[in-house]
Amino acid sequence: MANIHQKIRVEKLIRVAVHVGSLFPLAMVLWLMVTGNLGFNPVETVLHRTGHAAVALLVLSLAVTPLRRIFRLQFLGRLRKPLGLYAALYAGLHFAAFAVWDYRLNLNLIWMEIVEKPFLIVGLVSLIILVLLAGTSFRFWQRKLGKKWRWLQKTVYLAAGLAVIHYLLAVKGDLLTLQGAYTAPLIAGGLLILLLLLRIPFFYKPIQRFLNHQSAKPGEKE
Amino acid sequence: MADKKRHSVPLNRDEVTPKHIYQNRRQFLKQMGMVGLGALLASCAPRKPGASDIPPDAPVNGRTDELGDALTSYSAVTGYNNFYEFTTSKEQVASLAQNFETDPWSVRVDGLVNHPGVLSLEDMLANFNQEERIYRMRCVEGWSMVIPWVGFPLHKLLAEVEPTADARYVAFETAVVPDQMDAVDSGRFPFPYLEGLRLDEAQHDLTLLATGLYDEPMPPQNGAPIRLVVPWKYGFKSIKSIVRISLVAEEPPTLWNIVAPQEYGFYANVNPDVSHPRWSQATERRIGEPGRRETLFMNGYADEVMPLYEGMDLTIQF
Ligand code: HEM
Repeated sequence: MANIHQKIRVEKLIRVAVHVGSLFPLAMVLWLMVTGNLGFNPVETVLHRTGHAAVALLVLSLAVTPLRRIFRLQFLGRLRKPLGLYAALYAGLHFAAFAVWDYRLNLNLIWMEIVEKPFLIVGLVSLIILVLLAGTSFRFWQRKLGKKWRWLQKTVYLAAGLAVIHYLLAVKGDLLTLQGAYTAPLIAGGLLILLLLLRIPFFYKPIQRFLNHQSAKPGEKE
Repeated sequence: MADKKRHSVPLNRDEVTPKHIYQNRRQFLKQMGMVGLGALLASCAPRKPGASDIPPDAPVNGRTDELGDALTSYSAVTGYNNFYEFTTSKEQVASLAQNFETDPWSVRVDGLVNHPGVLSLEDMLANFNQEERIYRMRCVEGWSMVIPWVGFPLHKLLAEVEPTADARYVAFETAVVPDQMDAVDSGRFPFPYLEGLRLDEAQHDLTLLATGLYDEPMPPQNGAPIRLVVPWKYGFKSIKSIVRISLVAEEPPTLWNIVAPQEYGFYANVNPDVSHPRWSQATERRIGEPGRRETLFMNGYADEVMPLYEGMDLTIQF
């Protein structure tokens, strides 16, 4: 590498960008809130914005490992945890908007709603997983749980899958015939499947080899 | 949830003079730079002698529906709309629809009637006394408003065209204008938007053909220039920008029922006891009000409309 300092600077820049980018949707919601620009149905606006941010960050956090492997960018690995934690934060805010702001902590009513609607049950399971993973993401728990910890962290795929299903079911329309605004949740679902496939050596090894081959051509050594 | 309060108070029905409507309409058209044949015709329309003038920007503060709930602000009523021909984004309908051409406009009335024909908007404004009706509007998405509509009961129009003895349902159709409606060709929904009512529902005095709101001509985003308002049913039954009304013998197809029949029944009466897979039907958000309130059976119009559904199981025929 010609300039190791430059490389470190770029890495740092990316890390900062991840934090700033992850906090941006929250800053946006707060800004709209204080300026009174959340629209005519503020609860719905906040539910949508926090929900979208949670799904987007979840997909990004799952993109970290495949990207790191394929492009051999080890430093990316450190972005996984903050992205996952931010996703959990937005999922938590999303639920808070629902339970505290919309339903005023009327537990009876909240429970009635959740058990009656499959899309909310799915969302709740996803949320529980995300909160659990966020809570155990720290070194203390990593040490304490040992092997189980890695297994536990893998359930993030389940949480993401359930979040996408929750999203698909939250859209007004018909899922069977895809009549409705299904573009965004389908993209999220498609990316999720792609990222899952890229975790399988059968899929990522050839890409890795191919890219390696390309970069090796000019005769440059890593 | 069994002992919901079911209010029944007579509705506010302040008469609004046609003259007032016409004047507003002309003013509106002029502002929009659309002085066409329709506007000329409107200016020739007969005026009621001695009619009182209500200032167009009369304060609405303090006005309520018959249950005492305040009107929803004009900006919310005209800024938060479901009109999927333009966009699925409720706060963008107003700007996307602002140039929707509604002059001239006519409605074809056909099917099982003795006097089929094409009624221009001016005909309808001239022939049917325009009155104000303050109705609650409950959207299936779990939000609601209180809106001062201007219009005339559909039964007046039906009486003119005389449904035949075979007519049992009324079918409605929204305009499809692809070069003015950004989303009709998106393929997301099978437009034209279709709706329908049973004939007796259509003939109920609460069922309104609305030509305006807040004392002014119907804004495009609210379904200009003429739309249906059926206050005891979820909002999607109240079809917008109507170009055709047909009397038919069989239950007509309706858009949301085609798209997702398990979620949206033909009747779509507001009913907190019939749940929806996405939104709460037991409670609702009143736009402009914090928190949630209980949804009233038949949106609070049960006393007026329940005779229509005698002997029906409304949880099955929802
Ligand atoms: C108990 C947990 C949850 C509850 C009660 C809940 C509640 C809701 C509600 C009520 C809506 C519909 C908003 C509307 O259109 O009116 C919604 C939509 C959504 N939720 Fe959740 N949610 C939960 C968990 C989650 C989680 C864990 C995620 C993501 C990680 C998520 C992401 C979304 C998304 C993306 C939407 C779609 C917004 C749209 O329609 O554009 N939700 N949620």
